[in-house]
Amino acid sequence: MPAHRTHHPLAPAAFLAPAALVLGVFFAGSLAQVTYLSFTRYTAFSGPDWVGFDNYTRLLASGRFWGALLNSALYLLVTPAIIVLSLLAALAVDVRLRGMSWLRLALFLPVVTPTIVAALMWRLLYNEDSGVLNAGLRWFWLDGVPWLTERPWTLISAALVTLWKGFGFYMMVFLAALAAVPRELREAASLDGASRTQVFWNVTFPSIRPAIALVFVISSISALKVFEELFVTIKGAPISHQTVVPLIYQVAFEEGNYGMASAIGITLFVIILVFSIVQLKLTSRTEP
Amino acid sequence: MSSAVHMIDRRPLWSTLLWYAIAAVLTIIAVGPAIWLIVIAFQPPGGELYSLRGGFTLDNFRAAWNDGHLARPLLNSVLITIARAALNVFIAALAAYPLARMTFRGRDIAFVLLLATMMIPEQVIVVPMFRMIVGMGLYDTLAAVVLPFSVTAFGIYLCRQAFMAIPGELEEAARMDGAGSLRIWWSVILPLTAPTLVTLALFSVIGAWSELLWPLIVLQNQDTFTLPVALNNMMSQFEANTRAAYAAAVLSLAPILIVFALAQRFLKAELFGGAVKG
Repeated sequence: MPAHRTHHPLAPAAFLAPAALVLGVFFAGSLAQVTYLSFTRYTAFSGPDWVGFDNYTRLLASGRFWGALLNSALYLLVTPAIIVLSLLAALAVDVRLRGMSWLRLALFLPVVTPTIVAALMWRLLYNEDSGVLNAGLRWFWLDGVPWLTERPWTLISAALVTLWKGFGFYMMVFLAALAAVPRELREAASLDGASRTQVFWNVTFPSIRPAIALVFVISSISALKVFEELFVTIKGAPISHQTVVPLIYQVAFEEGNYGMASAIGITLFVIILVFSIVQLKLTSRTEP
Repeated sequence: MSSAVHMIDRRPLWSTLLWYAIAAVLTIIAVGPAIWLIVIAFQPPGGELYSLRGGFTLDNFRAAWNDGHLARPLLNSVLITIARAALNVFIAALAAYPLARMTFRGRDIAFVLLLATMMIPEQVIVVPMFRMIVGMGLYDTLAAVVLPFSVTAFGIYLCRQAFMAIPGELEEAARMDGAGSLRIWWSVILPLTAPTLVTLALFSVIGAWSELLWPLIVLQNQDTFTLPVALNNMMSQFEANTRAAYAAAVLSLAPILIVFALAQRFLKAELFGGAVKG
């Protein structure tokens, strides 16, 4: 016992109880349950009845599932684009020219925009008959692009919404990293006669590399979890244009096959876990 | 920061112009689609969606409000957003207090376990969460939207960071005055970390206002719809007059922009830095 008791011995438990209850029941509890349900036949009408690996073997034979996985893999290509755009944005804000403080605010606008509103905005631009994008292409005597109806354009269209909505957030991560690079270091380098580009590549870039690794991990995990951008932006396109999470939604809540949806969920969970572990291993190696 | 004439900032003209050009392009990318949505929503139905000269009308907003029955979803969204932000701040701050400032057996384990729930994506566990909500008799109620997200591991993490930075003497002084744990938490810890709590509330507001997947799963009735669910519904309902759906989108965007404009000074880059070091 401590020399003088400062808190009631039950105080920690009492303070922790509400959070532990909510996160324990809804997150930890659900994870245990979804694991179990993935081994059952469970539909809107019957079950759950234990069927072993039945759902998984059926998934392996399902073209729809492999198609969704492939689309998710393609969707990961949004990650490098996010890194480049958000880093560029952070550098632009960081040069501190007159009026640039407004830039940070303007670039954060997409982050607070509800995803469904963002998707609607872009649907408006993507409209194949009379949207701005195709009108612009026709201005240059080019053919319009089937943004909302043909693969892979549908995936690109949705990914652009993810990029648009996300880069302002990651810009903030990079701004925090840039603020941590000692200005004196950069100034000393530039006094030594290093050019601006040399200062960037030799001083700034190495110091923000951990931030790049972090953005890489976070943005690719959220790309694997994407739902709303696809569900709304390319509404009307067939399920073969969708990634894994929209497939979970379709299988569970439109077809009522909860057991199968749980198996897809567990597969996605494992993929995300493996992905994060590999990425963390790779990226931690690049750190000094 | 504003003392602009740093040695390093004496850049050549071409470099200044280049950065202004980049800034202009980025601004157009970020703000352009929103402005275009607003322009189109104010034009009369029909006509091209790329035209700036489509005229001006409020009809789409009237159609969205009346035929789309938006009043109730707007109210519902306001309610669940306030509830989720308030509960998240309250419960996360409660949990963070012992984790940051008390010594007890199993503290580090408790912190790691709570934080580990961040690794469980909501999208993976929608089926059992749905099952629990139905089992609790909460299907098609606003409580179903609030309850599972009434606290986030991220919130606990953010509060713990802020609480750990408070000097121990302040707590000590309150204890001398005979204040109990709950009293110290409420009248010493919370006021001192108000900026962090506001930031956490702001993150919750942005998330709750925007969320579609979970409300879509647990809400079924026009009377319980939140704005994003109502908007999703309108996309098929207003296939003939898409401009009404765009007007509804403008109406869902406006409140969150006002909140953001009022509270943007709490969104500091340092907070995002916590994630980097964390």
